[in-house]
Amino acid sequence: MEFDLIHNLGIGFGVALSWQNLMYCFVGVLLGTLIGVLPGIGPVATIAMLLPVTFNLSPISALIMLAGIYYGAQYGGSTTAILVNLPGESASVITCLDGYQMARQGRAGPALAIAAIASFFAGCVATVVIALFAPPLAEVALKFGPAEYFSLMLLGLVGATVLAHGSLVKAIAMTVLGLLLGLIGTDVNSGMARFTFGLAELSDGIGFVIVAMGVFGFAEIITNLEQGAARDVFVNKVTGLMPTWKDLKDSSGAILRGTALGSALGILPGGGALLSSFAAYTLEKKIGDTSNFGKGEIRGVAAPESANNAGAQTSFIPLLTLGIPSNPVMALMIGAMMIQGIAPGPQVMTERPELFWGMIASMWIGNLMLVILNLPLIGMWVKLLTVPYRLLYPSILLFCCVGVYSLSNQPFDVMLTALFGLLGYIFVRLECEPAPLILGFILGPLMEENLRRAMLLSRGDATVFFTKPISGVLLGIAIVLLLITLAPAVRKTRDVAFQE
Amino acid sequence: MKVKNGKDFWAGLMFAGFGLGFMLVSLNYPMGSAVRMGPAYFPAVLGGLLALLGAVVFFRAFVSKFEHPLKVFPFRLHMLIAALALGGATYLADSWLKGMPMAGFALVGLALALFIGAFGPKAMFLVLLAVVIFGYALKPLGLVLATALLIVISAVGGHDFRNKEIVILTVVLVLFGVLVFVKGLGLPFNLWPGE
Repeated sequence: MEFDLIHNLGIGFGVALSWQNLMYCFVGVLLGTLIGVLPGIGPVATIAMLLPVTFNLSPISALIMLAGIYYGAQYGGSTTAILVNLPGESASVITCLDGYQMARQGRAGPALAIAAIASFFAGCVATVVIALFAPPLAEVALKFGPAEYFSLMLLGLVGATVLAHGSLVKAIAMTVLGLLLGLIGTDVNSGMARFTFGLAELSDGIGFVIVAMGVFGFAEIITNLEQGAARDVFVNKVTGLMPTWKDLKDSSGAILRGTALGSALGILPGGGALLSSFAAYTLEKKIGDTSNFGKGEIRGVAAPESANNAGAQTSFIPLLTLGIPSNPVMALMIGAMMIQGIAPGPQVMTERPELFWGMIASMWIGNLMLVILNLPLIGMWVKLLTVPYRLLYPSILLFCCVGVYSLSNQPFDVMLTALFGLLGYIFVRLECEPAPLILGFILGPLMEENLRRAMLLSRGDATVFFTKPISGVLLGIAIVLLLITLAPAVRKTRDVAFQE
Repeated sequence: MKVKNGKDFWAGLMFAGFGLGFMLVSLNYPMGSAVRMGPAYFPAVLGGLLALLGAVVFFRAFVSKFEHPLKVFPFRLHMLIAALALGGATYLADSWLKGMPMAGFALVGLALALFIGAFGPKAMFLVLLAVVIFGYALKPLGLVLATALLIVISAVGGHDFRNKEIVILTVVLVLFGVLVFVKGLGLPFNLWPGE
């Protein structure tokens, strides 16, 4: 087993260290940092824009570059969180709390350094976690039938619902709405066009880039314009990057805990970077001296930063082993694999080992590049932040439009994105969190198909979801999770946690 | 009965509307049975569930402990709904209107006027309008002009429009688009009209 691991990693590094793949890895993490720093454009828009380009690349180069964009964005997002109190990435929301306070106290340098060190450490550990856990999980996944898949996806949806901001009922409703929107298009089983209103453009379903870009990207731009976002940049105060020994000692425990928590939560469907950073911060606030939290506690930067990077990376595990996307970025990765003619799932690891292990090795290399990119070049990224929003948002709009249009060269797609932008804006106004909607949208057709197959196999006996052991356990966890959230005591802390 | 939470009020209506809509449309498809589910089965069940959840949110608006005014949107919601309803009705009545094209045009025009009237010169409307125009202008007008339209219209939507800056931004982004998207990434866009 251990020999296998070393042998496999050897194959991986052999692939990842080729001159060409190193270059694509670098392009990926550089782009990732850039979009992570710029608020308003995230990995989803960027990867969508680059999808058509990956046609011409080899499969491994394409995946290495796209993965680099995702975890690179986690690095870049923390920079804006600390310096401007604006999360460049949703996963850096938590870092704003203490990171920005540190910057206000003139300690922006150590905050940025600790964020980078924490991210690097977490990235290294998460790489090992993927290498260790993905193969056995893929073995288990080969035994998964439709009932197990259905229950797993249900668990993911419950997870996303429980972790959404605000009202639980609204979050469930958003999930269901997402599932329904995902069903628009041709039904795979009967070949019947559903909810298309006779429009040929809808017969393949709505591209999820369209939904994600409208609901997240456009809606955010409109909201920002209405509020007239004011920003304070602590550009001049970034001096003395190096943290003191005390800083390192204080944060080492937090980094370890954040990494462990992030690696575990990233594996859950519906998990990933955002959930991990929330959980890590909450945990840290329960340990040791907590008087300084919210006032520039370095542990409050170290824990969520290590957790979000670990979570971002381990969220590749469900994709690579089960073929299930746990968040919008992973759904795009599936799209990228399909373009290359690779069906995601447990068979990838055995049939295309160089692809799987090459990607894992590239993550470690990419993390190393990110430290080099981020620490010495911090001044350059900070300069970018001084670009006023009135110049930034038309540029972001252009990138989004080009990304959507190039999906299938249809103006209709662009109009549909604008419609979803309107819908997303309405969601913001009504305090309906869009994240569960997106996950539901991705999983909708998959869930329906597995439900149908499971019911067909069991001859209409719905108890099969509970009597099959793996499926039963997954459903049990989902039910417990829902019940816990409904318990009054937890509801209160949940409200408090999300208000911060 | 007084609405305490305007946000829940509208959110409830929205969810219930979507739920009922999906449920009603799916009734046109074969339902099947639990063993062999037809195309209507899953969406009909989910639509019903969504309508139910919407009802819960709607009634919660009257007893909520959070207070929000009923006016949540900066646009005229009744005009928007009227515009969408009129547009939908025109679409459904397409075959009847075949005989009298003028009536069809009038209805579409009225719907558009209501749509624009619902928003006024708001950031949201102009940004989304710019996006739609870009989508439909890219092919006939080419990348250069479509980009310029997108940037100028969306910039009007911001609160801080500066002529000189917008001109420079347009030039820079057009150059960037031509060099990166077309020359660099090889996306199949024509640069000028009629190419």
